[in-house]
Order: sequence, then C-alpha cells, then structure tokens
Amino acid sequence: MAAPDAHRSGAASDAHWSEAARGPTLRGVMGPLAEPALLGFSSGLMCLTACGPVLLPWLAAEDAGLRGTGALLGQFLAGRLAGYLVFATLVWALGLALPLPASANAAIFGAVHLALAAALASYALSTLRSRPVACAGGLSTARSRALAGRFRALGPAALGFLTGLNLCPPFLVAGVRAAQRHSLPGALEFFLLFFAGTLVWFLPFLGVSAVRRFTGLRVVARFTTVLVAAYYGYLGVITLGGALLHAWHNHA
Amino acid sequence: MPGTITPDAVAPGLAGRSAFRSLLLTLPIGLWGALMFSRSLDLPGMAPKLAALLTLHFMIVLFFQMMRTQETHRWRRIFFVTLGVLFPVGFIWDLITLRGSMSIAVGQMIGGETPFCFLAIPMMIVPAALTKTLIFPGSILPTASNPHAVAPMIALWLAATLVLGKGWCAYGCFFGGIEEGCAALAKKPCVRNVDPRWRWAPWAVLAAVVLLSAATYEAVYCSWLCPFKAVTEFPEVRSAQTALQAGIFGSLFVGLVLVLPFLTKLRTQCAFFCPFGPFQALSNKLSVFEVRMDRAKCTDCVTCRRACPTLVLDETSVARGRAGMSCMKCGACVDACTKGAVRWHIKGTALMASPETARLLYLFPAWAFATLFGGSIIAETLTKLLQLAH
Repeated sequence: MAAPDAHRSGAASDAHWSEAARGPTLRGVMGPLAEPALLGFSSGLMCLTACGPVLLPWLAAEDAGLRGTGALLGQFLAGRLAGYLVFATLVWALGLALPLPASANAAIFGAVHLALAAALASYALSTLRSRPVACAGGLSTARSRALAGRFRALGPAALGFLTGLNLCPPFLVAGVRAAQRHSLPGALEFFLLFFAGTLVWFLPFLGVSAVRRFTGLRVVARFTTVLVAAYYGYLGVITLGGALLHAWHNHA
Repeated sequence: MPGTITPDAVAPGLAGRSAFRSLLLTLPIGLWGALMFSRSLDLPGMAPKLAALLTLHFMIVLFFQMMRTQETHRWRRIFFVTLGVLFPVGFIWDLITLRGSMSIAVGQMIGGETPFCFLAIPMMIVPAALTKTLIFPGSILPTASNPHAVAPMIALWLAATLVLGKGWCAYGCFFGGIEEGCAALAKKPCVRNVDPRWRWAPWAVLAAVVLLSAATYEAVYCSWLCPFKAVTEFPEVRSAQTALQAGIFGSLFVGLVLVLPFLTKLRTQCAFFCPFGPFQALSNKLSVFEVRMDRAKCTDCVTCRRACPTLVLDETSVARGRAGMSCMKCGACVDACTKGAVRWHIKGTALMASPETARLLYLFPAWAFATLFGGSIIAETLTKLLQLAH
C-alpha cells in the first residue's frame, strides 16, 4: 500500500523542522521523543486498569516466583508491544482515513474481545488439572496438561497482543499522532516510545509473586479468569453483533 | 433456673442463666433500644409508635433469650430472617410510592437517585483511589429524592466493621436473611457434598468485579451480577442489554438465594458468590472477636463443620483450632458443639479465658448495632404495613 505522504505535513511537523533548521536545541531533540513517552506515561494508569483484569488473575494462576513472574510479564509486554506496532503500521498506512467508520471499529474490536475471551477461557480450562472445579466430567489430566503446555508457549504474548489493541482515548490520540508522521519508522518510533512510557505502570504486577503463599490463590485466580473471559465474551458478542446488525441494516 | 433447657440440648457449662441475671444483662440493650426508638414517639399517627414498640419488644425478647439460653445463632437467626424479609418489602414499598415502579430509568440514575448499597463499596475503592471518581450513580449526601446516600452508609458500615469485623454479614447485612430463612426451612440438606473449592468463588467474584470496575468505571456487580436487584431496584428494561441484566438478576436470586439454600442448608449466595463477604473478611483481622476451638476438648465429630452455613470451617481450620478468616461469627458452630470445644474468644487473651465473657462482649455491640440499623429497617417497614392495614 502506498504511503500517503502528501498529507502528512501538519503544523506540528513544520514547527519541528523549522526548529531543527535553527540548530539543535534540547527542546528540538527531546520534543519528538518526549511527546509519545509522556503521552504513554500519562495514560499508563488507564493501561494498568485495562490490562489488570486479564493480567492479574493470569499471573496469580501461574504461581511463579519473582523471576518467573518477571519472565511472564516480559512475554506479555512483548505481545502488547507487537499489538502496538501492528496498530501503528495500520494507522500509518491508512493515514488520514482514520477514524474508521464506527461499525468497522466495532467489528474489529468486537472480534478482538472475542479472541481475548477465547484465550482466557482456554487458559482457565487448561489449568484445571486433576479435577475441574465446576463439574465432574471435564478434561482429562493428560489433555489439560497438553493444553496448558500449548498455552504456556503462546499464551502470554497472545494475551498481551490482544489487550494491546485497546481503544482507550490516549491510544487513539497516539494513533492520530502516529498517522501524522512522515514515514513508517516514524510511526513505529512513536508507538515504541508510547509503549515505553506506559511500562513503568506495569512494575507493580511483579508484586503478584509476593502473594503466592496465600492458600487458594490459584483457584481464585482461575475462577477470576473464567469470569473475566465471560465478561469479554459478552462484550465481544454485543459489539460484534451490533456492528453486524448495523451493517446488515445499512445494506438492506 | 435453667428453665426449659435440658442438659442434652446445650454444651456443658451452657446450662442457661437465671431469669433475673438475664434481665439484668438485657437492661443495657433495652435502654439503648428505647433511646433509638424514642424518636418514633414524636411522629404523627399511631402506626410509627406501635411499630417502634413492637420492634423494641422484639429486639429485647430475642436478646433476653440469648442471655437466658446462652445460645446465639437460633435467636440471631430470627432477627436476621425478619430483617431479610422485611427489608425488600419496605424498599419496594418506597420505590412504588416514589416512582410507581421497581425499575429505575437512566435519567433518574444519572440524577443520583439510586439508593446506595454497601455491596458497591469494594468496587468503588480502586477508581476512587486512582482517579478520585465515584463510580456509583447515587448522591454522596442524603437528598429529598434519595435519603439512602453514600456517605451515611459508608460511615455506618465502617463503624460496625471496626468492631464486628465480618460479623456485619450476620448482624448488619439486610440481604442474607432471605437465604438464611430458606436454608432453615429444610430439615436436612438434599445436597451434601459440595466441593470445598467453591469457597474461593466469592474471592474470584470480588477480584473480577474490582478489576473490571476499575477498567470500565462501572459498578460491574451492581450492573450485572447482584441477585438482590430482583427484590430491590433494577434498570428499566428498554433494550436487549437491560433485559439480559434483569434475566441474570432473577436467575441468580432464584438459584442462589431461594433454591440452593433450601437444598444445601447453606447460605449459598454468601458462601459461593457475594463479593462483599471476602472484602469484609479482611476486616476480621481488625476485629478482636473470633471463634476458636479447644483441641483438648475437640473429638473431631465434625458437628461444627456441618453447622457452619458458609463452609468456613474445614479440616484444616479445626485442626488449627481457629475458624477461617471468612468466619461471620454467627455462632452456629459454637451452639452446635456439644463438647464446649468451640468457643468465643477475644484476641490477646488466654484461650481458656471465659468464653461466655467473650461472647457477651461481642454480643453487646453486635446487638446494639442490630437494634440501631436492622431494628430501624424493621420498624420502618412495620409502620408501612400497619398504615396499610389501617
């Protein structure tokens, strides 16, 4: 897809280049870097609350020590970064075509919520080892272990990727600013710095390893994962269903 | 004089108290109750006065019986079930009188007319702490259209919690009585073997609603999961979503509050679902009152475990000689133990210190609170019923 460079010269970019022409200043050098990082940092609290329902029960269910939790968090964040970069590529490629029509937005994010619900549900089921909590006839131990193994390989990154695609207001602002960049690397750089700005808010999640000694934590975490999956599943069905109904109505 | 209490019916050492001593012990509660209900004497009409006198009499008699028989659970349950049944009656009455319907329109909700319920407290904490946002759609201070506002309820809850801990769930909660009544209806449980892992489910519901409320800025439990919406107030059914919500409320109420308590003889909503329970359980760390087991007297007969309505007592907790953190201090296990091994205890005192003294020290604030809070709800509803009869 050809990059729509022609319409990328906004007022902000002009100011940046004219400043650069006068010689390097601290503001000139740091400004483009600081904006996305500060935007990420200031919206990190929202990222924290958006990722919390997915990340916290899942980390608690893993029952890992500090190092293990750190590794899992790293995989999750890597997946989340991938989500950001995919989004950055999309918004850059689509340029000023953003925002998408409401029904298209709803369809995409409905599907993302459904995928997130499926990932969480499959994880919760895979961790029910010896005997499922809810019913007598559930997964066999061998099959659940196999499922759990498969999930452990891809799960953290998949969850990170899916939660990374969250349409919160700061994320949309970041999308619009990235779309105004001159090049794809510029858009990617913007989202990379935005991501870096949010990172500090994820450090408290490492504290999950400190509460692992509590009896029943894993059971609670699995139950919670099921409930959160149900919530995102509902959200996905409603959002996607609404978008499809809207599209069908318009078509008719 | 032990009266009608036979030695077989109660634990050793709990052979009842003389009527005179019981009366003396009831006197402070009688005076407290009289003080609480005296304001009703100034209200116009006979109904409020009669309702106040009936409620005062009711609370005093129950407390006297607690003193006389030295049993707690049986008499507390009568109060608690009465409160549980009368609260929705009075609440629905108010809604019908004020709005003509149990449902609330979005406009009224935005206008802060939603009465505040303590169940929303755990969900409000994270958004309030992080962003200073109150996610409940009620008003902070009482107004003419909404006398049940956020601040008075939180103050009352906090005061009771500091003293009683999770005892709130046995003396303060105006919802638990319905299921306790349903559980009491069955002579024997039809379903006995409940997987003990279900005990952790309320913690999961708590975690899920707190996290999702923080993510969505919506009181998720109130919007989607509260069984008691079915007998109090629910969003007006105007869309597929509100119809789904109403369906969830109704199903949870029938299942968890009516049917399952009858089948299991447990407070199933409290034991397996209510997110407020685990939140409140944390306050048991603050409260000085607890239930302990004297291992020297315990014969591992599991009577106490069978009596516990929320499955808090299990093999581990009995072996450890201490009820779990989620104990709501209803007294069922203490009353059920025929060996006197399960006893009331005050933290920091010797285990062998008089359990009856500990029980009294717990019961006075608990019953004083019950008279103030639950008693006033009972009196208000009785007033309405008497006015209706008149």
